[in-house]
Amino acid sequence: MGLVMKKERKIYQYLPLVLAFIVLPLLLWFLSDFPERSLQMNALSLLTILAFSLLLAQFFLSRTNRDMVKKVKMSNVLKIHKFIGYVFIGIIMLHPFFILVPKFLDDAVSPKDAFIRVITSFDNIGLVLGLVAYSAMLVIMITSFFRFKLHMKYRTWRTFHAYLTTIFIVAAIWHAITLGRHSNGAFTLFYVITGASGIFFLIRMYVLKPSKKPIKNV
Amino acid sequence: MSSSKENGKISRRSFIALAGGAAGAMALASMGMPMGWAENNPEIDVDALGLDKFNTDVLVIGSGMAGLFAAVKAHDAGAKVMMVSKGRLGSSGQTPFAKGIFAFDPEKEELSIDEFVAKISRSAMGSNNEAYTRQMAEHSLDRVNELKSWGFFDSAIYNKSFSKPINERNIPVHERIVVTHLIKEDEKIVGAAGFSVDEQKVLIYEAKSVILCTGAGGFKPNGFPIGDLTHDGTIMAYDIGAKVTGKEWNDGHPGRAENPAACYDGWGDMFENKPSTVSVEVHHDLGVDLNYMVYASGNSVTMGRPGEGDMNAVSGGPFTPEEFKRQETGRRPGPQSDEGRPPRGEGKPPGGGKPPKDGGGGPPGMSGTPVGGSSAGMAIHKSEGLVPINERCESNIPGLYAAGDALGSYMSGGIYTQIGSSLAGSAVQGGVAGEAAAKYSKTVGSVSISDAKIKDVEEEILAPLKREAGYSPAWVTQTLQGIMIPNFILYVKKENLMKGALAYIEELRDQHMGHLRAANLHDLRLAHETRNMIVSAEMKLRASLMRKESRCSHYRLDYPEMDDENWRAWINIYKGEDGTMQLEKQPFGQWPNQGAEIV
Amino acid sequence: MAIESINGCIGCEECIKSCPTDVIRLDQKTKKAIITFPEDCQICHLCRLYCPVDAITITPEKSIPVIVSWG
Repeated sequence: MGLVMKKERKIYQYLPLVLAFIVLPLLLWFLSDFPERSLQMNALSLLTILAFSLLLAQFFLSRTNRDMVKKVKMSNVLKIHKFIGYVFIGIIMLHPFFILVPKFLDDAVSPKDAFIRVITSFDNIGLVLGLVAYSAMLVIMITSFFRFKLHMKYRTWRTFHAYLTTIFIVAAIWHAITLGRHSNGAFTLFYVITGASGIFFLIRMYVLKPSKKPIKNV
Repeated sequence: MSSSKENGKISRRSFIALAGGAAGAMALASMGMPMGWAENNPEIDVDALGLDKFNTDVLVIGSGMAGLFAAVKAHDAGAKVMMVSKGRLGSSGQTPFAKGIFAFDPEKEELSIDEFVAKISRSAMGSNNEAYTRQMAEHSLDRVNELKSWGFFDSAIYNKSFSKPINERNIPVHERIVVTHLIKEDEKIVGAAGFSVDEQKVLIYEAKSVILCTGAGGFKPNGFPIGDLTHDGTIMAYDIGAKVTGKEWNDGHPGRAENPAACYDGWGDMFENKPSTVSVEVHHDLGVDLNYMVYASGNSVTMGRPGEGDMNAVSGGPFTPEEFKRQETGRRPGPQSDEGRPPRGEGKPPGGGKPPKDGGGGPPGMSGTPVGGSSAGMAIHKSEGLVPINERCESNIPGLYAAGDALGSYMSGGIYTQIGSSLAGSAVQGGVAGEAAAKYSKTVGSVSISDAKIKDVEEEILAPLKREAGYSPAWVTQTLQGIMIPNFILYVKKENLMKGALAYIEELRDQHMGHLRAANLHDLRLAHETRNMIVSAEMKLRASLMRKESRCSHYRLDYPEMDDENWRAWINIYKGEDGTMQLEKQPFGQWPNQGAEIV
Repeated sequence: MAIESINGCIGCEECIKSCPTDVIRLDQKTKKAIITFPEDCQICHLCRLYCPVDAITITPEKSIPVIVSWG
C-alpha cells in the first residue's frame, strides 16, 4: 500500500511539467489558426514542437530543480532526463529534413537544392542561429553519450553541460521565434518564459548560490 | 530634393487624392487594402531616381523559352549579349506553365516534313506561314536535345535548367526590369529603356540589335497565367513604327466556374509536372466554338458541360474542317499518356494545348462547369506580334527582331494545330533570331543614345509617378476588362457591338491612358502594362472589324462564312504618320515588302 | 485571397523572384518575404513551387474589386 502511495505521489510530482511542456504546447497548437497543411506535415510539425518543448523541460528535470529533486529520487529524474535528451534531440536533429519532405513529393525544387539553400543562407540571422543551436545540440549529445570517455571531472562536465545548454537554448529559441512556421505570439511567449525560467534555474545553481550541500541520493 | 518641398508636395497630393479619391479609396479599403494605396502619394523620391546605362551588341528582352535560345545562339554566333526581363529567367510569361514540347524526329515520324507542313496548312485553312511551320519542325529536335542536356526535362520549374547555358556563357541577366521603350535613331534600332521594380533606377540599354522575346499578352484575365503578359514588346515596337499582326485571332481557353481566378487549380497538377516531348498530332483546336455554343444556347449551365456528347446540338458557329473533326467525344487519352503527360492529350495548357472539351470525368481539376474567357485578350500562339519580313524573325525596323509569341510568325496560323509546337516554336525562333541579330550587329558600328533622347524617355517612363492625381491602373484595367472580355465582344463578334466597344476603348485611350498614376514602382509597372492593354484592345477591335469573314479562331456572327476571295490575307497594323492606327492586308503566302512568295 | 500566408520564411527571395506578377516583396527589417500586392496574384503557385521550405499557403479564392465610377 505504502509503496503504491509513494509511487502515485512521485508521478504527481511530474504533473506540472507534463501540463507545462506537453499539454500547454498542444493546446497552443490547437487554439492557433495555422494555415491548413497535410496530415503528415502537421504530424511532423507537432512532433517537432513537442520535441523542442520537452527539451525545454530538461531544465526542470535536473538537479537545478531543487524542489523536485527533494521529492523524487535524482536517479529517476536523471533517467527521464537522459531519455528525453537522447530521443528528442534525435527528433530535433531531423527537423531540418522534415521541412524538406514536401520537396520529395513534387518535381519542383529538388530536396538536395532545397537543403543546400537552407544551410547556406548565412545572411539570415535565424538560420545562422539555427546552425549554431544545431551544432551546440550535437556537442551536448555527444559529450553526454561519451561522458565517461572524456575523462572530465564530473563537476567540470556538468558546468560545461549547463553552459552549452544555455548557448543552445538561447540560439534555439531565437531561431524558433524568427523562423518557426508556427511561431505566433503565444508560442513566442511560451518559449521565452520557459527558456528564461530554465536559465534562471541554471544561474541560481551555478552563479548565485553554489550548492554546498552535496545531494546524496544520486 | 529638400524635405520641406517634398512634404509640401505630399500634402497637396494627399489633399487632392483624398478629396477626389474617397470613393475609390473606400472601395479599396473594403477589399482590405490599405487606404494609402489609392492616393497618389509617391513612396519614392522621383527626382532622386538613379540612371544606369549599358552597352551591348544584342539585347534580348524577355527570359522565357524564346529569350533563352535568342541569348544563347546570339552569344554562340559571336555577339556580346545581354538579357533583360520583367520577371525571372524561366519563371515569367507562359514558359513556366508549358509542359509539352513538340520534337519532330524524322526517324520516328510517319509523316515527312513536307507532309507535316501540308497538314498544318490544311488545318490552318491557309492562314499559316509555311516557312515558319517548316522551320519549327526542322529545328525542333535539335532545340529539344539542347534542352535535355541542360536538364530541362528533369524538373517542373525551369530556372535552374535555363540558368545553366546562360551562366556557362556569362551572359548578364537583368531580372525584374520593366522595359517600356524601344529606341530608334536614324531609322534603326539603337536600344531600349525601362526601370527596375526593386531599385529606384531607370535603365538605358544601348544595343546594336534588339530581340523581343516578350511573349504575347491578354487583358489580365482570370484563370490563365498571363497576368504579367500585356503585349509589352508589341506595343513598344508599334510605337517606333513596327508592323504588328494577328490581333483578330482568339485563344479560346475556358476556365472553371468554381474559383475562376485560380490558374493552378484550373489545370490540376499540371503546373507541377515535369515537361515532356510530343510527337506529330495535328488538330484544329478552336476553343472559341465553346463560346459560340454558349452564346447560341444560353448558358453552359443549362446545357451540361459544353462539348459533352453531341457537338451538333447547336448549329452554325466556327467551322472545323472535316479532316480535323474529333472522332470521339470522350476524352482522348492521347498517345503520349504513357509518357507521363497529363491526360488532356495536350502538352501545354497555356501554350498551344487546348482545354478538354469533354466531360468524361474530366482531366484533373478541369471538371465542373466551364466559364469563358480565361485567356481573354490573347490570340493564337505565334499568330500575333511583329510582322516578320523574312524567315529570320526580322521586323520592318532594321535591327529589331522578335521570336516566340512576340513574333507574328503564323507558325501555326490562326488556329491551334500541332500540340506542343508553341513551346518548340519559341525555342526554334529564339535560336533563329539570335543568330540573325548577332550577324546583323556585326554590320553596325557602335551605337549610342543621345542625352536628349534619354531625357525624353525617362520623362515618359516616370510620368505616372509624377502625377499629382490620376486613375489607378487597377481601376482602368478592370474597366477595360469589362469592355473587352464579354463573350459578345471578344469571341462572338458583330459590327455594331465592336464599334461600341471601340468607342469605349478610345475613351480610355484619350481620357485615361495619360492620367494613370503610380505611387511606387509596382504601380508604375501596372501603369505601363495598362497602357499597353488599352492599345492592344484597340488593335484587337480594329482588326476584328476589318476582317469581314469567319476563319479559324476569328468568328463573326454577321459574316459567318469563310471568304477566300477577299480574305486569304493577314491584317497588319502600324502607326500612321498622324499617330493613328492604320491597317493593311498582306496576302497569305507572301512576305510583306515586295510581295515575294513564302516558300 | 489567393496567396494567403508565408510561414517559416528563411528569406531566400526565391518566391519574390519567381512571382511573375510581383506580388511578394522582402521586408527589409525582418528579411522575410511578405505578401505585398495580393490583388495581383494570379494563383499560379510558382512561388510555392520555388520555395525551398514549403512556407507558402495559397487558396483558390480571389475576390474582384467592387465597381466604382472612377478610382
